[in-house]
Amino acid sequence: MQGSRAAQFELYKLYAKAMYNVALRILNYEEEAEDVLQEAFLDAFTRIVDFRQETTFGLWLKQIVINKSINYLRKRKMEFVSTDEISEVPDEDSFDDSEVQLQAEEIRAAITQLPDGYRVVLSLYLLEGYDHEEIAHILKISENTSRTQYMRAKKKLKSILEQKGMRDE
Amino acid sequence: MNNRLETFVKDNRKSFDIMEPSADLWAKIEQGLDARTKKKPVKLYLWMSAAAAIVVVFGLVWLYAGRLQNKDLEIADVSASYAKKEVHFAGLITEKRDSLAIFASANPELYKKFTADLRKLDEDYERLKAELPTSPNQTFVVKAMVKNREIQLQLLKQQLLIINQVDDYKRVNQI
Repeated sequence: MQGSRAAQFELYKLYAKAMYNVALRILNYEEEAEDVLQEAFLDAFTRIVDFRQETTFGLWLKQIVINKSINYLRKRKMEFVSTDEISEVPDEDSFDDSEVQLQAEEIRAAITQLPDGYRVVLSLYLLEGYDHEEIAHILKISENTSRTQYMRAKKKLKSILEQKGMRDE
Repeated sequence: MNNRLETFVKDNRKSFDIMEPSADLWAKIEQGLDARTKKKPVKLYLWMSAAAAIVVVFGLVWLYAGRLQNKDLEIADVSASYAKKEVHFAGLITEKRDSLAIFASANPELYKKFTADLRKLDEDYERLKAELPTSPNQTFVVKAMVKNREIQLQLLKQQLLIINQVDDYKRVNQI
């Protein structure tokens, strides 16, 4: 069988918050993130027989959450990149943030203000810890696009933070 | 300094997971799980009856086909004298195998090796038997089958001899 309800609740308690934040970062809408979370847990519990212990349950669940979130986004007709956008790669040191007083809450809020494409790539890279190869696979874009999008997202993030007067001095 | 953002996020990863899903979300998931498990027994029952039906159909077909094709050629159909020999050998083989089995518990390792050798010969025999109905030279195949039995018998005799000696040796050494 698929394990007892109590065990499922334990897993839920363990992962719900982290997974909710993963979904929320991608979707930016709380209701949608909750829908994704609900579907993901239901899927995970009913498909748990498919789960081969090649990875941890957490990573497996995270994959489900991310895939579902991306699907939701796509339904909103989000374009990850328009072709003219990837022409030039910004300088590596575009996020010269040495003078910026970094604060988690400010960054978190600034991320929510990024356009969808930027936000997704930046979240996956910076917070979920995927590399550009994996992101390219998840979003079905090229690795180079993922890199470019990330650079641009960082640049944009910096300008949002600066606008907020986060400069130290 | 370019990686300051990355480093900062890595160091403060926990402060980014601060949002909480609503409290009633688990109740919704539980509802969904109940709905899915309720559907299950019906489905399982359906699948099981489908599987049973398939098994029954296959069984009937197999029985029917088996009856049609039951012209399994025996050695006796080809040559009565070879059949007699084969029966004689087969009897002796069973006898020797039984004797060998007595030593099995005392020498499990050896017994395993012996039975493996015998199994190989047995497989050859079965292959020949399967070839027999379609073979253009049936007498030849029958000869080979009888020869196979003879070799099995010889092998068994030798194995018995060896296992007897091993057993004796062990007993002497124990004393």
